[in-house]
Formats: sequence, C-alpha cells, structure tokens
Amino acid sequence: MDYLRTASGKFICSPAEPFPPVDGEDSTPWNIGFSLVDDLPGRGLNEITKTRGLIMSAINKIYFAVALSVCSSASMYGHAADVIKLGLSVPLSGAGANWGIGANWLCQQAASDIAAKGGVNVAGRNYNFECVAYDNKYNAADGAKVAQTLLTKDKVKFISGSLGTAPVRALQSLSERRGVLMFTTAWGASIKGPKFPMTFTQMNTPNEIVYPLVGFVKERHPAIKTVALLNPNDATGQETEAIARKAWEAAGVKVVASDWYERGTSEFQPVAAKMAALKPDAVDLCSSTPADSGQVFKELKSLGWDGVKVIEVGTGAGGLLATGGEAAENTYMGAAVTLESVNSTPLQHRLEEGVKSLTGESINAVQIGFYDSVMALAAAMERAQSVEPGDIAKTLPEVTFESFYGTSAFGGKSTYGSPQQVLVPVVVTQLQQGKLIEVSRIQPEELIKRVQ
Amino acid sequence: MENLLQLLLTTVQIGSVYVLFALGLTIIFGVLKIVNFAHSQFFTLSALLVAVVIPWLMEEGYSLFNAYLFGLVIGIAGAAMLGVLTYQVGFRWFQRDMVGSFILSAGLVLLFEGIYLEVFGGAVRSVPPLVEGTISVLGAGLSAQRLLICIIAVMLTGGLAWVLAKTRFGNALRAVSIDHEAAMLQGIPYKSIAFHGFIFATLIGAIAGALIAPVSSVSPTFGDSFLVKGFIAVVIGGLGSVPGAIIGSLLIAAIEAFGGFYFDPSSASLAIFVLVMLMLLVRPNGVLGRG
Repeated sequence: MDYLRTASGKFICSPAEPFPPVDGEDSTPWNIGFSLVDDLPGRGLNEITKTRGLIMSAINKIYFAVALSVCSSASMYGHAADVIKLGLSVPLSGAGANWGIGANWLCQQAASDIAAKGGVNVAGRNYNFECVAYDNKYNAADGAKVAQTLLTKDKVKFISGSLGTAPVRALQSLSERRGVLMFTTAWGASIKGPKFPMTFTQMNTPNEIVYPLVGFVKERHPAIKTVALLNPNDATGQETEAIARKAWEAAGVKVVASDWYERGTSEFQPVAAKMAALKPDAVDLCSSTPADSGQVFKELKSLGWDGVKVIEVGTGAGGLLATGGEAAENTYMGAAVTLESVNSTPLQHRLEEGVKSLTGESINAVQIGFYDSVMALAAAMERAQSVEPGDIAKTLPEVTFESFYGTSAFGGKSTYGSPQQVLVPVVVTQLQQGKLIEVSRIQPEELIKRVQ
Repeated sequence: MENLLQLLLTTVQIGSVYVLFALGLTIIFGVLKIVNFAHSQFFTLSALLVAVVIPWLMEEGYSLFNAYLFGLVIGIAGAAMLGVLTYQVGFRWFQRDMVGSFILSAGLVLLFEGIYLEVFGGAVRSVPPLVEGTISVLGAGLSAQRLLICIIAVMLTGGLAWVLAKTRFGNALRAVSIDHEAAMLQGIPYKSIAFHGFIFATLIGAIAGALIAPVSSVSPTFGDSFLVKGFIAVVIGGLGSVPGAIIGSLLIAAIEAFGGFYFDPSSASLAIFVLVMLMLLVRPNGVLGRG
C-alpha cells in the first residue's frame, strides 16, 4: 500500500483501522467487493442470505470509496511537507570551526522558522528545508571531497552556504556544471558574474564595504593623511588590499606601506615595528582576522603608536578584545554586527544568543549570510512556483525577502555584470570602552530603490 | 640603531619561546628516535588551561599573581598528565619507529584538536597580562609582559642546559640519545629514561605554552604555527641536538624579526622555508646534527 505513504515513508492514512466486520467476511477493507457468499460451497442458499451478502458487499464498497477519497483529500491538502536538502560546505574543525558551526546552526534556524510558518508553498505542495553540513576544513582538498559528497552522494540541488574561497572554488567547479544553485560567503569578485549564473554571494564583500567605510572614517578623522595596510597573503587578502588601496587613495590618503602575512602567523611584533616606524595616521588591517588584528594593535601600542585603527572586514569584537585588549579601543570595523542598538529585533537577539551559546562568540556577518540565504531561497521558490534551481536562479534577483537585517534583495549588476550580490546594509561599528557600538548604517543605494 | 636594537630584542623574545618548544621536540627525538607532532598539543593544552583557569580564579577573588601561579600549575600539570597518557597508550609501543610514530602523532594532533574544540570551543581566549606597561631599552620599546616572558624563557633554557650537562638524569638522556644500546650496557635503564625523557620534554612544551599564552591568540589550533617553526628549528639545528635546537630557534626568530621588518612577515615565512630546503640539500643532518 505504498501509494498511501508519504515520501518519508509515513502512512498518511493508516490501513490498520478495520472496517466494521460483516458476517462471513474478512474485517479488513482489502477484501471489499469480494463476497464470501459466492464462494460458499453447495447450492440452495436462500435468497435472503444472498441478498444480505450483496447489500453488505455494497456497503463495504461505499466505505472503501469514502476512505479512499478522505485519504486522497488529506494527501492533497494536509500531508507532511516534502523535504528539500540544503547543502553546506563549511569548516567544522580547525581555525574556522566557530564560523562553520555557527553558520550550520543558523541554517537550521532558518529552516525551522520557515517550517513554523507552514513551509514553502509551491504549486500546492509544501516544502521544508533540511540543512546538511560537511567539514571542508577551509582547504581546497577537503572542499573538493565535500563537493562530491553533496552533489553526487546526497544529490543536493541547493547549496545554501559555503565558506572559504579555496573550498568554494572546488565546489563551484561542480555546482555550475550540474546546475546546482550555490550561495557563498567567498569574497572574490571572480567567483561570480555572467559566467557563473548559479552562484550568489550571501554577505557583503570588500566591494560593498570598503568605500563606504573608508569614506566614513575619513569624514570622522579629516586629519588622516597616511595609512599603512596589512593583509593575510591569500586570495581574500589580495583582493581586499587592491580595493582598500584605491579607496584610501580616492579619499586623499597616501598608502605608505602595504604588507602581507601568512595566516597562522603567531608573531606580529616585527611588522608592527615596521608600521610604527613609518608613523602612519591610520592603520588598516583590511581582511585580517579580529584575533590577528588584536595582536597587531597590541604590539603597535607597546611601540608607542596610537592612530586611527581600521579593520575593513572585521567580523567581531570577541577575538579582537581577547588578543588586543585595551589596545583595540576605538577600532572601526565594517563586517561586524552589534545588537547594542535600540532598534535590534527579537529575531536578531534570538539568533545572537543561539550562536553565542554554541560557539562562545557573538554572531557575525559571515554566519548571518547562512540564515539570509535560506530566507532568500524560500522567497524565490514561492515567487517562481518552482523548486528547480534554474528557475530559482532566474527569480532570485527579482524578489525581496526578510533577512536578519530587514528587507533585502539581490543586485550588484553594475559591479559584477549580473545581479548576484546580496544587498544588505554596511554596518560600521566601533569598539568603545570594550563594547562594539554601531556608529553608522549605510544602506546600498540599489536596495533603497528596490524597496521603494 | 634604535630599529636594530628593537629587532634584536624581538629576536630574543620570539626565539626564547621557540627554543623551549624546539628543545622538547629534540629531546624526544634524541631519546626515542621519533618525531612527535603531538608535542604541539601539550603546548596548546597548557595554554588553554591557563586561559580558562586564570580569568576564572580572578572572578573567584584570587589576586592576579595567585591566579597566575595556580593557572601555570594547572596548565603544566594537565599537559603533563596528557603526556603520560599519550606515552603509555601510544608512543611506548612505537619507540625508534619513525614511520609508526609519525602516523600516530599526526593522528593524535587531529584527535586532540577535535577534543579541544569540543571542550574549550573555538573562540580565541584572552589571558590578562601579569605585568602592564611598556619598557624602553635604549629607545627600543618592549612590553613588560614580553620582557618577563623573555627573562623566564632564558632562565629556563639555561636551567635546562644545566640539567642536561650536569645531572645524572641529563647525562643519561644524552647517553641514550647518542647510543641507547651502549647506554643500556652501562646500566642505564633505557625504558625508564625514555619515559621520563618524554615527560620532561612534555613539561618543557607545557611551560612554553603557559608562558606565551598572555601575548598570543589562545585557541585549539594555537600550537600549529609553533609546531612548524619548532620542527624547522630542530631540522636546521640538527635533530636530537640541544645546542642545535637553540641555534635553529634563534636563527628562525632572527629571520622572522628582520625579514618581517625589512620586507614583510610573508616574505620572512618564505625565507624560513627556503632556508630549511637549502639545509636539507647541503647539510641534511642540520648544523650540529649527527649522521
């Protein structure tokens, strides 16, 4: 009786309930329409008995017809929702584990929130999401393994989040070929555009953050004439450095040094000594992690430097305070989130508390993208009335959706050649007396127009 | 001149911690003839325990000095206990087995990192400085905390050199590292020395971790970069050679300090790897290594 089961194998309408027993008949409904009378041996049965058997048989047929119609109605309007798997390629161990663990939890939360509202309704069917996360260890080799597992073994059609440029590139090489829709936090501009129609960026990248942030800082500190830059020596760092250099120069500030360090570096005193010797008005640590940045600022302070401190894509205060302490005071960041604002919502607080209890760190913009992408996916599915990745990819740039930050959308065609960048505000934060304070919220022009 | 002095001070600071780390690696190699990658995990555990215990004790009302004292003891004791367990369960069965110990220690690194992540979480932890402020030495700036670490590390290195040179245990360690069979013929209990040598090296690593915690980013992956640098130091200095480990560590620290200042940290890291490749080509046994 498989046709009475849902895709998950649960009975919609259990056949275990017997119909009222009829004399001389099996009490299960499966023998309905089959009268034992016809099979009784011998002749000369009286007509009454025969007629009674026929009547009972007819009644049983009616029972079954009613039962079937009830079951089919239930399957049309009230059955358990189908499940769409959402793949995640994130670091769940090693240095980036906290980001991955938080991101996975936020994906699950988004799936729960959508389920609580009744799921995603597409063509009369309800769909819920299930997050399936694998550890890409933040490297290409494991990223390739995760890609194979998600796309070949699990056969997912949607990657609702991927973290780390190297593993994302490994994943993208497969996802684009197989028509799988992928959301990513990878910042590289080369990762999206008309050549990659199935790839969407789920958080602000340096392209969105740097110019507004540098403009804001320069406006606040007009005396800044020189800046020293420091970046991790990887694809992310190189891309951020190029944008940051142009942004500072555009603001009339001279870049006196631009240095690189390897991720995992434990000693920043030499480069801090070099930067301090140049006496720049500002130090911009661009895409350095908050923990590394704290160490640099600490060394700079011990060397007597005390200028304007910026981390373009700084994602949080936890690591910065842990390693920098008081030396990190007054640092500006462009990718951190604070809920100190009076305007923060219950949803934001709930998600912040969840991530904090799980990882010990505050929620950050990288993780938030994993909540937002599921919301975007749900909105696009309902608009497209389709669960096909190709249809969703075409529809995503047309919808607005409720993200962590409020109403958001996808755009960025003028920058990337196609609208594949999430449009969320650039939140400029500053560490003040050990607390992260929002000092400015810059809405993307494109989003303002879209919402209007 | 000011910059030169600054860089020399930086070299001594960085180098003193590398020395402690590399000494542990080189003693284990000398005595057991194994490469112990898991050495970084004792270093990490000690730092993590220090980072957990000190703030907690301070919240409980202990003075900073007492909290530090207890924190160091707990950190070092915890790492030492892990060392005992690791030796008895694992390395004891892989003595003088380079391939087996290599696989075992690589596996242990992954295992311990996973456990630390589960137990301590992935967040970077802070350790409050024991001494605040900056000290100026002939115009070169230096944080008081770093100066303290540097002094303690130099004293420990000196003490270690004395232990190895002047005590029965030190002589036994050196004898076993030169020729363990000849040492046994002279009545040196090899198994006991191997065990105590392993724990001794673990303790040195644990002390290094506890010392460096206040000026670093303490996290479950904290020991990784120190492992790479420490391993390179002993390769350059010569596996199993104590003076070699000291020379190698100071050389790496000097490259990091001067390279980081005159070029950038990334170039300095590259230079270190180029140096180790050249060393392996020209002098595979290291500066002071034995064939």
